Formats: sequence, C-alpha cells, structure tokens
Amino acid sequence: MTSADRVARLLLSAVLLLGLLAGCGPAHVVVEGKFPAPLIEPLPITLGVWYGDDFAKHEFFDESKSRQESSWIVSTGVAQVQMWNTLLAGMFTKVVHLTRQPSEGESVANVDAILVPHVEELQYAIPRQTNIKVYEIWMRYRFELLSADGVPIAEWTMTSYGKTPTGFLQSDQEAVNLAAVMALRDAGANFATNFTRVPALQGWLREQGVPTEAAAP
Amino acid sequence: MSFSSLRPVLCCVVLSLVSACVTSTVDEMVLKKPVTGLGEDSVVILGRRHASDYETEPDFVSCVGDYIASRDNAITVISELEFLNAVYPWFEPRTAPLHPVDIERLLQQKPVADKMAALKVEYMIWLDGSTERTGGSGSMACSLGGCFGFGTWSHDANYEATIWDFTDKTSVGRVNTSATGQSYMPAVIVPIPIIAPVQGTACDGIGQQLLEFLSSGH
Repeated sequence: MTSADRVARLLLSAVLLLGLLAGCGPAHVVVEGKFPAPLIEPLPITLGVWYGDDFAKHEFFDESKSRQESSWIVSTGVAQVQMWNTLLAGMFTKVVHLTRQPSEGESVANVDAILVPHVEELQYAIPRQTNIKVYEIWMRYRFELLSADGVPIAEWTMTSYGKTPTGFLQSDQEAVNLAAVMALRDAGANFATNFTRVPALQGWLREQGVPTEAAAP
Repeated sequence: MSFSSLRPVLCCVVLSLVSACVTSTVDEMVLKKPVTGLGEDSVVILGRRHASDYETEPDFVSCVGDYIASRDNAITVISELEFLNAVYPWFEPRTAPLHPVDIERLLQQKPVADKMAALKVEYMIWLDGSTERTGGSGSMACSLGGCFGFGTWSHDANYEATIWDFTDKTSVGRVNTSATGQSYMPAVIVPIPIIAPVQGTACDGIGQQLLEFLSSGH
C-alpha cells in the first residue's frame, strides 16, 4: 500500500466517523417564517428599540430524556427580530433601532421611550401518544419600557402559544419551525391588540396623548 | 375463456374489494338565502382554532375552498392564509371574532374597514371541527421475508360551517357534516393500505352544500 493510499483511507475513515458523530448530535432548527405587517392605526409615538443578545440570538436547548428521543436546539433569535421589527414598524409612527444598550442617565435623542424585549421562558411539547408531527411551543416575554434617558417607566410580561397546524409535515424540523412561527404570530397579535390595555402603561400612554382601553377582564 | 379476457373482471372485483367504505350525513339550516349573485364580491373560508383540544385543519379549509371555486367560476374564494395575513392580527386564534356582532366593533378601526372594503368580502364562512382516529385493532409482524397480518382502524370527521353575511353582520346559515370510515391494511409479504377517504368525503359534503347556498342567487 502506498502512502497516498494510506492517506486516502485515513481521510475516508475520518469522514465516516464525522458522519456518524454528526448523526448522534442534537437536531438543530433555525426558525424561518414570513410575518405580515399589522393592520393597525399607528400610535403617535417614536419608539426606540433595543434587542439584547439574549433576545437577538435567542435559542433553546432541550436535552433528550431517553435514547429514543433526540436533543433539540431551536434558534428563534433571527425570526424574533424579524417579527418584532415588522410588528413595531406598523404599530408606531416611527421606530428607532438603538445601536448601544440603553443605560440610566444616558439620553437617547428623538425618542419618546425605549422598548427592551426579553424571552424569559420557552417550553415545547410533543404529543407522545400519537405518531403525528404536532409540536406545541409556549413563550413568556418580559418587556421593559424605559424613558429616553434610560429611567424605567414600566415592566410587564406576556405569553404566546403556537401549535403545528397540521400533522402531515415531512419532518420534525418542519413541524417545530411551524409551531415556532405560529407562536411568534400569536406574540405579535397579543402585543398589538393589548398594548394600550397594559395597566402599567396607562399613565404614560395618557401623557403621550394616546387613548387607552381598560384591560380585558 | 383465457386469462386475458378475465383480467378486466378481476380488476373490477379487486377494486371493489380494496375500496374502504365511508358513511356520511349532511344537515343544513339556511336562515337567509342570497337573492342576487355574488357579482364582484368574494367569500372567505376560515378555520376555527380557539379550542384547546382540536384545531380545524388548514388542509380541510383549503379543500372546501377549492371545491367551491372549481365548480363555480363566478365565486371568488379568498385563500385562508392570504386573508389572515391581510388582516393580521385580527383573525388570529386569540383575536378572531366569535360572533357576527363582533365584526361591527372590528370595522370601527379604519384600516380594517378599508381592507375589508378592498377585499370585497360578502360572506365569511367559519369551519369548525376535525377528523380524528377513533380506534384500531389487528396486528402485523414484519421481517426480512416481508410483513404478515391485518390491521384496521376508523376515522370520524365532524365539521360545522357557519355562514356570516358581512353586510348585515348576521349568521345566515349553518351546515353540519359527519363522516365515518373504516380503513384496512392486510399484509401478505407487502402491506396494502386501503384508506377510507373520510376527510375528503366530509369536504365534498360540506363543499356541495355551501356551493348550493352561494350559487343560489344566480
């Protein structure tokens, strides 16, 4: 056997080993979707928005509990930013994307307030009793609203839920992706329809001249 | 008689044996039939998704829409996703109106009223229900030599269509359909699934009644 043959065999073995190791790794889903602009009268507010790394690069890891299951890494960060950018641009007259994290005492020019969203919790469920690919995703958001000079105005939480709407998808990855997209759509719907009802925002909204609504019972 | 001359007869016998049976019933209640055709107006068909234990399948919603649109070219059916995206976030599972009177409140918002006028929605049809597997029995064993055994299972489909008149903001009709079917899978070396088209039968039943309602004005 020549040295070239040996190198070729070594390379082939390495590729096969890597392939086997890759098969053992967690399933990775980068959530992708299209999010519509909201059909809503924009509020007369110039809103600054800051997405921290915990939000813009958000992903969750679920380790398998048994050999039959696989571990999952679901990256929602890119889709989160895409959905919230589309939603906020339609909800407010102007949205300013901050390039630096807001801090107290440091004023941001030409904004009425700064919104900082966080994904506090994400859970997912697989119906184990059936073999159909229907996943459920539940998210809890926390929002901070800061004044232009970084002073906290309000803080509130909001939940969203999404479920794969069909059991006939080709792969588990597709099913998880669709459940995440549904959860993001639900988050946008919840935020857009309830923003003027958040009790913690009532006083500030009145100061901005925005008509407020009573919170739903 | 040669085998080739018997082949068509054998094919017919096999085909009649391999088609699974579906039983379906359709009930209709019409409160107010259209007196004129839809003209340039359109119909939107949406699935109800606010219940916690089931969701109306998007495939079923598009099946009913396709049934109507393919049989009457005069009826414009707006696809569910196109409509949901056009009026986001007002028809999502958590925000969709549950009663016709809720439309009045929704139309108080100018962007929504303008969009509805642009879409020319005359009727909004809500489909509520699902197809569920209700039971199964039998067993099958597979090895390198093939599969042997027999399996059977049944599906139940129950759907209700509620027709809202968008101009009058009232409910003008209701159609119920239910279908039950038994599917089989005999296996002698190769498993042969004989699937009962339960959801398809329900789609045809409800689609035909809705078609008759929508076409009645012309």
